[in-house]
Amino acid sequence: MKIDNSLPLEYSTEENRLKIFGFWVFLGAEIMIFATLFTVYAILEKRVGAGPIGADIFSLPGILAETFILLASSFTIGITVHAFRIGMTKAGINMLILTLVLGLAFVGIEVYEFFHYAHMGATFSASAFASSLLLTLGTHGAHVTFGLFWGIAILIQLKKQGLNAQTANKTFIFSLYWHFLDVVWIFIFSFVYLKGLM
Amino acid sequence: MNYPIEEFFQFLKGDPLIIGATFSILLGGLAVVLGLTYFKKWRWLYDNWLTTVDHKKIGIMYILFALVMLFRGGIDALMMRAQTAIPENGFISAQHYNEVFTTHGLIMILFMAMPFVVGLINIVVPLQIGARDVAFPYLNAVSFWLMVAGGILLNISFIIGGSPDSGWTSYFPLAAETETVGSVYYMMSLFISGIGTTITGVNFIVTILKMRAPGMTLMKMPMFTWSILITMIIVLFAFPPLTIAIMMGSFDLLFGSNFFTTQNGGMDMLWANLFWIWGHPEVYIVILPAFGIFSEVITAFSKKNLFGYKSMVASMVAISILSFTVWVHHFYTMGQGALSNSFFSITTMLIAVPTGVKIFNWLATLYKGKIEFTTPMLYTLGFIPIFTLGGVTGVMLAMASADYQYHNTMFLVAHFHYVLIPGTVFAVLAGFYYWWPMLFGFKLNEKLGKIAFWIIAVSFNVTFFPMFILGLDGMTRRMSTYSEATGFGPLNMLSFIGALGIAVGFAILVYGIYWSVRYEPRGIKADPWDARGLEWSTSMPVPAYNFARVPQVSTLESFWNYKQGKEELFKGKIEEIHMPSNSGVPLVMGIAFTLWGFCVVFSWWIPAIIFAIPIFWTLFHRSFNYDKGYHIHVKEIEETERKLNHLRGEKI
Amino acid sequence: MAKLFPKSHVIGFISSIVLTLLAMTVLVLDVSFASKMIILFITAILQASLQLFLFMHISESEDKKELYINIAYAAFVGIVTIVGSLLVMVWDM
Repeated sequence: MKIDNSLPLEYSTEENRLKIFGFWVFLGAEIMIFATLFTVYAILEKRVGAGPIGADIFSLPGILAETFILLASSFTIGITVHAFRIGMTKAGINMLILTLVLGLAFVGIEVYEFFHYAHMGATFSASAFASSLLLTLGTHGAHVTFGLFWGIAILIQLKKQGLNAQTANKTFIFSLYWHFLDVVWIFIFSFVYLKGLM
Repeated sequence: MNYPIEEFFQFLKGDPLIIGATFSILLGGLAVVLGLTYFKKWRWLYDNWLTTVDHKKIGIMYILFALVMLFRGGIDALMMRAQTAIPENGFISAQHYNEVFTTHGLIMILFMAMPFVVGLINIVVPLQIGARDVAFPYLNAVSFWLMVAGGILLNISFIIGGSPDSGWTSYFPLAAETETVGSVYYMMSLFISGIGTTITGVNFIVTILKMRAPGMTLMKMPMFTWSILITMIIVLFAFPPLTIAIMMGSFDLLFGSNFFTTQNGGMDMLWANLFWIWGHPEVYIVILPAFGIFSEVITAFSKKNLFGYKSMVASMVAISILSFTVWVHHFYTMGQGALSNSFFSITTMLIAVPTGVKIFNWLATLYKGKIEFTTPMLYTLGFIPIFTLGGVTGVMLAMASADYQYHNTMFLVAHFHYVLIPGTVFAVLAGFYYWWPMLFGFKLNEKLGKIAFWIIAVSFNVTFFPMFILGLDGMTRRMSTYSEATGFGPLNMLSFIGALGIAVGFAILVYGIYWSVRYEPRGIKADPWDARGLEWSTSMPVPAYNFARVPQVSTLESFWNYKQGKEELFKGKIEEIHMPSNSGVPLVMGIAFTLWGFCVVFSWWIPAIIFAIPIFWTLFHRSFNYDKGYHIHVKEIEETERKLNHLRGEKI
Repeated sequence: MAKLFPKSHVIGFISSIVLTLLAMTVLVLDVSFASKMIILFITAILQASLQLFLFMHISESEDKKELYINIAYAAFVGIVTIVGSLLVMVWDM
């Protein structure tokens, strides 16, 4: 494996570059997954049957907390990648841990929100609106949750092997995933929550 | 959930066809198991096939799977044509007929056409671009086993639990009315295999963009490779909507959500909308590789360069973009407004233009060429006029107002078979004959191949042309029978005779393969067709590492020029080659997905969760896997090259 | 410390918070529905671009042209899907 030392570690081998490129390509498909979910939500948003509408169940504090937590976690994972590039491995690992903790907090709040929605009558089977809302939020939340497990796996490998071309590459790809989920959340925040509360 | 035993084991219902089919599958499976045991081939199977990450072997497995599915889908077709051959026929019941046309469509498109095409892509693309494998060989194996998982689920549905019966399009609310778990089988089968296809999309986009031989710029790529790059881009963006639609449909069926219901705000038409957002690009996914294959075969057997390379590329780019803008033409009659229908009529008519450009380019390529009428060339030449008939009927259907007459009649059925069979099926058969020698070191028998072609091509027209007339006469599709008074009888009978002809043609084709394996002379020289693509520059049959030395390309015609002595293709000495290790994990993933999917179909939630665990285990196992592969040493490469066939006068 | 938190990242983070607050103005502003949707759309696109360029480093890759095409194509198909579906299913035109 030839290592190109003029590039950051995550890009330093050909296999690494292929993997990063491949993940970007995969993100194109993920954009379509969420575009489809937004399409469905846009179509079903007003179809509430006898159930509650968005404005009835959305609570701004929880939404704002989720948003700022996720934005912060996007910042921390960005710092992780940066730290690894400038050789501050330990700081980078700590930032990764912080990212995962913030992610866990996000998921925790979202689970609470789901219980709150159910309590207010917006269960998965209540109406087309409710089904679509929960599917959209749930798909995003499931992605975040999967990310937590993925992040822990990378953390373990970082602790065991330290920072090398492969672990740097994995961390970078994970950061792409994490940033992407933040972008999706921004659209959810805007076009599900704010639009619903307008 | 408890199922009455004869709901679970469908053959207990007493239908002779289902009993017969169940026993044939069991016997066939038993024969394979016994054969492997008797010849002590389990280890060989495991080491060489079940755990392979080699793109050529994966491609062969895809094609084998597709051929078996072609057989099953063909039997479905024969049953349908037999049932409709005479009015008020009692051959199969209406319910059974529904299940048959549903499985016929699903199998032919998703488990015959797609795997066949993906199989050829797997075999040919890395070789055409001068690479040693795809970008992500492990993921390639995962894609294959996920496709198999989906295929197994669909194929056992008619034995255990019940086949889907709402058409391959599975419209709601009908799909939710299915009395058996058939619709859930549909959802799980497509969900799992769809993930595999999406991964293939990523794999080949990266492979084609990043792993081409030095000197091969994008505009120096072979046309087949171009067609695959475009196809995979369509795959990448088309499959996610299907995945979401299937999740929504599954949740409706299993958890009482209200996406496609007729109450609580549900919108049944939304399924049709989402399905076709995937469904239309899907037909371009199966046809663009066919166009690529035809480009290769035409140039090889008219001994000419492809006419209009740039416009061929541009037309495929145009098709890919437009393919996402036409989907509503599949349901013009569903009640939306005139503006929507007009918009989509225009885009649909537009998309015919680039295809027309391609047809003219192929004709121009043939013009003044030195035509050789080999079997692959016959399929290609047959494609041009017959597919065009399908294409122009497509433009007829494109006009929304006119479509109110044609929609869901046999006219539509004829149209799509006229584009799918002369398009995709002829192409994969042409590709099969064309590239077979590269993989196996001998040709398939030409005489038997040509006889099979003629019988298939003529019988195809006898089968499907009457359907245009029947459709215009008013016969709707998916109709299990009709009364004598309609007058549909004679043409349906003619169609049935044609179908028998197709069956005979395919039987001869299969016999031809068997005959060739037994009797065709081996040891023919490499590049038997004197073709132009880089895939013919390896020794033959292609060794595991593909190229002993990476070719260095400078023009579109590098291999051709090399044969004329005008260009050097292989410079430098042989170096050791790095290869990825085999892995049994994709197989485990496939098995786990099959079992998980099966449990979800029957709402057995605890077992489903249990089977989901190995799926996650495979992901984590992969993450912690730092296997570096292995190296093939120079001595071994030289040995292998010495034993294989080369071009005339070539030294390694 | 300053080494660990480069200016570009900090500015990016603060900008994303500002953009989020800006988006929230639709809850209090008295303008048309269309204007509110435009505000939401623009703030979201800006935040997405921030993420892409500042955090995901899309422009530093040697493949950046391909990546831009990927994102553009995805955006095109996404928008056609959403608008086309709304046209047919909701606006019923």
